[in-house]
Amino acid sequence: MGPKAKKGGGNEKSKSAEEEREDPLQAVVLADAFETRFQPFTVERPRCLITLANTPLIHYTLEFLANAGVEEVYVYCGSHKEQVEDYINTSKWNSTSSPFSKLEIIRSTSRSVGDAMRDLDKRNILVNDFIIVYGDLVSNVPLEAALAEHRARRAKDPSAIMTMVLREAGRHHRTKAIRRKPVFVMDRNESSSNRCLHYEEMHSLPGGRYTSIDEEILTSTASLDIRGDLIDCGIDICTPDVIAQWSDNFDWEVPRSGFLYGVLKDYELNGKTIHVHIVEDHYAARAQNIRSYDAVSKDVISRWAYPLSPDSNLLHTQSYKLQKGNVYKEDGVILSRSCIINGGTVLGQGTSVGDRTRISKCVIGRRCQIGRDVQLEGAYIWDDTVIADGADVRQAIIANEAVVGKNCKVEPGALISYGVRIADGFTVPGTARLTRYRSEDDGNPIKGETDPAAVGDTGEGFQFIDPDADEEEVEADTSGLGKLAHMNLSTDSISTLDSEGDLSDEEPRHHDRDAGGSMVSLVSDDSSMAPQSAADFHHDATASLLDSLQKGDQPENIALELNGLRMATNASESQVRKSVVAAFMKRVSQVMEDGATVQQSVETALGNFGDLLKRTMFDQNLEEKNDQVDFMLLIQADMVHRSKGDTILPFVARQLHAMEVVEEEGFEQWWNDPRSSKDAAMVQVRMKTEPFVDYLLQSDDESDEDEDEESEEDE
Amino acid sequence: MARTVSMTPGLASFLRSLKNDPVEASIEHLISLLKRRQIHNSRPCAIATTQLLLQVVAEFKGKDSDILISRVRHVGQKLITAQPREMAVGNIVRRVLALIREVIEGDEVTEGSPISESPSSIQPLSTPREPSHHPGLPSSISTSSPLDHSGAGHPIDSSPHPSESSSEAISSVHRPVLTASHTSYSTAAPLATSLFGLFSRPETPSPASTPRGFQSPRHGDNPPVPIHQLKGLTITDLPKPVPDDFKADVLDGIREILDELDQVDDQIASYALDHIHSNEIILTHSSSTTVQKFLLTAAKKRKFTVLHVESFPNDHKNTRATMVTGRKNQGQAEEEEDVDDRFSPLTAAGITVVLIPDSAVFAIMSRVNKVILATHSVLANGGLLAAAGAHAITKAAKMHQTPVVVLSGVYKLSPVYALDLDELIEYGDPGKVVNYDDGEFVENVDVVNPLYDHVPPDLVDIYITNLGPHAPSYLYRIVQDHYRKEDITI
Repeated sequence: MGPKAKKGGGNEKSKSAEEEREDPLQAVVLADAFETRFQPFTVERPRCLITLANTPLIHYTLEFLANAGVEEVYVYCGSHKEQVEDYINTSKWNSTSSPFSKLEIIRSTSRSVGDAMRDLDKRNILVNDFIIVYGDLVSNVPLEAALAEHRARRAKDPSAIMTMVLREAGRHHRTKAIRRKPVFVMDRNESSSNRCLHYEEMHSLPGGRYTSIDEEILTSTASLDIRGDLIDCGIDICTPDVIAQWSDNFDWEVPRSGFLYGVLKDYELNGKTIHVHIVEDHYAARAQNIRSYDAVSKDVISRWAYPLSPDSNLLHTQSYKLQKGNVYKEDGVILSRSCIINGGTVLGQGTSVGDRTRISKCVIGRRCQIGRDVQLEGAYIWDDTVIADGADVRQAIIANEAVVGKNCKVEPGALISYGVRIADGFTVPGTARLTRYRSEDDGNPIKGETDPAAVGDTGEGFQFIDPDADEEEVEADTSGLGKLAHMNLSTDSISTLDSEGDLSDEEPRHHDRDAGGSMVSLVSDDSSMAPQSAADFHHDATASLLDSLQKGDQPENIALELNGLRMATNASESQVRKSVVAAFMKRVSQVMEDGATVQQSVETALGNFGDLLKRTMFDQNLEEKNDQVDFMLLIQADMVHRSKGDTILPFVARQLHAMEVVEEEGFEQWWNDPRSSKDAAMVQVRMKTEPFVDYLLQSDDESDEDEDEESEEDE
Repeated sequence: MARTVSMTPGLASFLRSLKNDPVEASIEHLISLLKRRQIHNSRPCAIATTQLLLQVVAEFKGKDSDILISRVRHVGQKLITAQPREMAVGNIVRRVLALIREVIEGDEVTEGSPISESPSSIQPLSTPREPSHHPGLPSSISTSSPLDHSGAGHPIDSSPHPSESSSEAISSVHRPVLTASHTSYSTAAPLATSLFGLFSRPETPSPASTPRGFQSPRHGDNPPVPIHQLKGLTITDLPKPVPDDFKADVLDGIREILDELDQVDDQIASYALDHIHSNEIILTHSSSTTVQKFLLTAAKKRKFTVLHVESFPNDHKNTRATMVTGRKNQGQAEEEEDVDDRFSPLTAAGITVVLIPDSAVFAIMSRVNKVILATHSVLANGGLLAAAGAHAITKAAKMHQTPVVVLSGVYKLSPVYALDLDELIEYGDPGKVVNYDDGEFVENVDVVNPLYDHVPPDLVDIYITNLGPHAPSYLYRIVQDHYRKEDITI
C-alpha cells in the first residue's frame, strides 16, 4: 500500500498552506450488525456477503465510503470472519488501486454494537474523526457537506461529538421499518446547529404510539422539530470521544436506543451534544432485514441509488447492461425465444431461461437454470440455483445452489437457504425457513437432519428454528439487555416479503424489539418485560457495584457505571437505591468477614461513597424525606438477613449521618415510619440503633440551620 | 474545510495521484472513478483517459509496437467496459491506437517507399496537404487547418500560419487537415474527393501509402525542425529510425491530444462570428462551457439575445450557475484548478440572457433564429447524444425551420453507430424527477430519468468542431481520418 500512502501525501501537499495537516478520514464498517434477521442465510454466510442485485452488500458500503473520500477502513466482523476476510482480501478493495490506504478486518467476539465499540476503544486505532456505517448500507449520499458541518461544529465546540446523517422521506416508505419508527426531536434554533435533543422509537405495540418528551426540553427550547419521517440508516460521523462514551457506559448495546438515548439523557451530566444532518436528496437505506432487502433491491434496480445500479458493474467481473424497462442482463445469458422477461429484472451471467417462462421483478444470479413454464415473480434467486420446469416462485428468496423441483410452488415469503433441495411437486409455504445447516453456539454451522415434511420426500433440508430462542433463558442473567436485543430479532425474519406493498398491513403480533434497551423503557408500564428487566437491572447493578467496590474503583467511575446502567434500563430511583443498598451492605459484611471490626468495615465500605449514596436520593430539600426513609428501610430490611445485622445498623446509621447522606429528619421519619417496625424481625434489628436516633432527635434543633446550608452546597 | 472539497475523488484527485501511482493502480483508479461516475461528461473523461494512456505508453518498456498496441487496447477495453456510455473514453483510446499505428507505419515508410509522400511534403505550406492515412483523399479544400497544434509550445518559425507550425508536421499525420474552408461547409467537395479517394485507395493501409516522411527526423532534436528544412530532408536521406523511437513519437502525439483537449473550446469559438449575427435570437440548452465560450466570443463583436433552456432536472443548477457566473458550480474539484477569469457571464458582455423552462421551447421557437447545442458525443452517422431535452428542441427547430448548430470537439466524435440506442443512453437517478420522499408513488410507479437524448442526424444542420464546420453527412470522413478501421471495435 506504499503508493497509496504517497497519494495521501500528494493530497496533503496540494492543500492550501494554512490548512493544517489533517489525518486521513477513517471509517468503521460494522459488517455484522449482531442481529439474526437474515437467518437462516446467515448461518452459513456472513450477512455482508449476501448479494443484493447480485452484488454483495459490503461492496455498496465500501463504495459509499470510497465516495466519501475515506482512506482507512476497519471492517468489524462478528461471525464468519474467515469468509469476509477471504472475500475482501481478494476483492478490488484490497488491491493496489483500492481507494483505501488501509483496509483492516477486525474480528471480535462481540455480541453487540456496544461491545464492538468498546473493543475498538481498547485497540486505540481511531484517532481522528471517523464514520461508522453498517455493512449493509446502500447509499449515494455525498458526505462532504455533512463532514464539513461536523468539523466546523467540532472546531467551535469540542463537545459536539457526533453527527448523524439522516435522509428525509415521507410517512410511508418501503425502505423504512414498518413497526419501529424513530422519532428525532431537534432544536430548530439557528445557533444550536441541528442539535438532537431527544430520541425515541415508536412502535406498533399498544403503548408505542406515543413519545414522551422531557418537560425540560419543551421549556428550554424556543422551537423544536419533532420528526418521524426520517430514514435513519446509521451513518454517523463521530469524534473519538464517541468511543470513549461507549466505553464509559458498558451497558449500551445499540447505537440509537442505547448510545444516542443515553448521551442525550446525560447531557446535563456530560454536556456532550449530538447533531443531525438531514439530506433531502440522494439515496440512503439499509438492507437490514428481509423486507428492506426487498425494498432496497427494487430501489437499486429502478436506479434510485444511481450510480449504484447493476449496470455500474461494481465488481470487476460483472458485465451488466441496461435494457429497456430496467432489465439488466449480463453477457452470456441464454434466453429461449418464447420466454418473457418483464421489467425490473436482473439476470446474471450464464443463466439460462427455458421456453414459455415468465419472469418479472426478479433478481436472478449467475449460472442459474430456469426451466420451462416457470413463473417467477418478485423472487430473489441467487447463484447456481436450479428452478425446474413448471415451478412457480413468488416473492421468495432462494439462496445459492438450491434446487426447486418440478412443478413446485414456493409461496410468498418463503426463504430457502443454501443447497436446499425441494422435491418435485412440493409446495413450500410462506412461513418456510428451509436450511441444511443449523448454527451452533460457537458460530460454526453444523449439518442438520433432513425433514421430509419440510422439503418433500426426495428433498434435502429442514425448517430452521432459531437457536437463540432457547439460549435466551440461559444467558438472560449475564447480559440481560444484549439478550433482549437478540431474542426478538428472529421474529423479525418472519416479516415476510409479501407484507411489503401493503403498508397498512402491520402485524402487531410481531414484536420488533430490536431496540433492546429503550424498548423496555417504552413499554415498561404495560409489558410483561418490565419485571424481568427490573430484576435484570437489580442483578446487574448489584453485581457490578460490588465488583467495583471490591476492586476499589474510584467512586466517580462507579457512579458513572451505575448511571449508565440506570439509563439503559430506565430503572426507577427506588430500584437503584435497592441495588446500591444491597451492594454496599454485602460489601460491609464481606469486609467484616475479613476480620475487621464493625466500625472499621462500615467505614471502609461506605467511607468514600457519600456522594454516590446521596445521588440515589432526591429529597434533601424537601420536607418529606421519602427517599431517605426508603433508603433506611432498605438497609434495615437488608440487615434483617445478615448476621449481626442489629450490630451493624447503628454503625451504618452513624456513618450515613456523618457523611450527611441521611439527614436528621430522614432518620426521624424513618424511625417513626410504621414500615420500620412492621414485624418482629424489623423491630429486633433496629433495637440497637435507638440510642443513636434519640441522640439525633435531641440535637435536631441546633443542627437544623447548618444542615440546610450544607445541603445547598451539595446541590 | 478545504480538505473536504479537495479530497472528494474526481478528475483533479485522479490527475494528482496519476503522477505517483504505478500505472496499474491508476488504471484501476480511473475505472472505479468512471464506474462511480465521479468522472463524467466528455471532457473530464477524455482528459483522464489521455493522461492515463500517456502514462501507459511512457511506462511501456518493450520495443515491439504490436505489444504496445495490444497493451493500449487492453487498457482501453477495461476503461470502455467500465463506462461504455462515456464515449469520449473510447474515442481517445482509438485515437491513441491510430496514432501508434501511424507512427509505426510512418517508420516503415521511411525505409520502404519515401517517394509516395513526396508530393505532399513538398507542397507549399499554405496549400492543403494530403491527409495522412487516407492517401487517396486529397484534401484540396483544407485551406488552413484550425488544428490545435500551434499552441503546443513549439516555436513557430517561418510558417505563414500559426496552425501550420512545425508541430503540425508531426501530428497532422493522424489528424489530417480535411477541413472545409470556414465559410462554406461544403459537403460536395469532400464527397467528391472522397469518392475519388475510394478508387485510389488501397484495400488495406499499406506502408507505402502513409506519408510519414517528416516524422522521423524530429526524434533527434526536440525543438522541431521547421518544415522548410524538413522538406529537403525527408525524401531522400532520412536515417532509419531507431526502433524505440516510436515511443517518443507516440508520447508527443498523445500530448498533442491533450493540447487539443485544452484548446478545443477556443478553436470552436473562433468560428463564432461566422455563425452568430447581430440581433439574432439564439436558443441554447444546458451548461456547456463550449457553448458559453462560443457565445462569449461572438458577444465581443455583436449584440444578440440568448434564450437559455434550463434542462431540468439534471443540469438546471449548472445552467443557472452558468448564467450568473459564467461557469458551472458543480464539478468543483475538476475546475478548481483553473480558477481564472476566463469565465464571465454573458450578461457581463451586454447580452440579454433569458432562462426558459424546457416546456416553453416549442412556444418560443418561432422567434428563434438559431439553435446552438452542446453535445455529449457525436456518432459517426451524424446523430448525436446530448443532454436530455435536446431532441425536443431539435424537433421544434425542425418544425420551424430554425437552423440547428451543434458544437462539438473532435474528441467527442465517435466511430460508433447508433444501433442500440438504449445502450447508449445513460439513465440517471429518478429521484431528480420524482421526490423519493413520496413513498407510495415510488412504490408503484417506474420513473426513468434519461440523462441524454439521441438526436438523429436529419435534425442537425451543421456541426462545428475544432476543425471547422461540417455537415452531418460529412462526419464519417472525420471519423475515418481520426480512427482506424481495425480499432473501431476494441
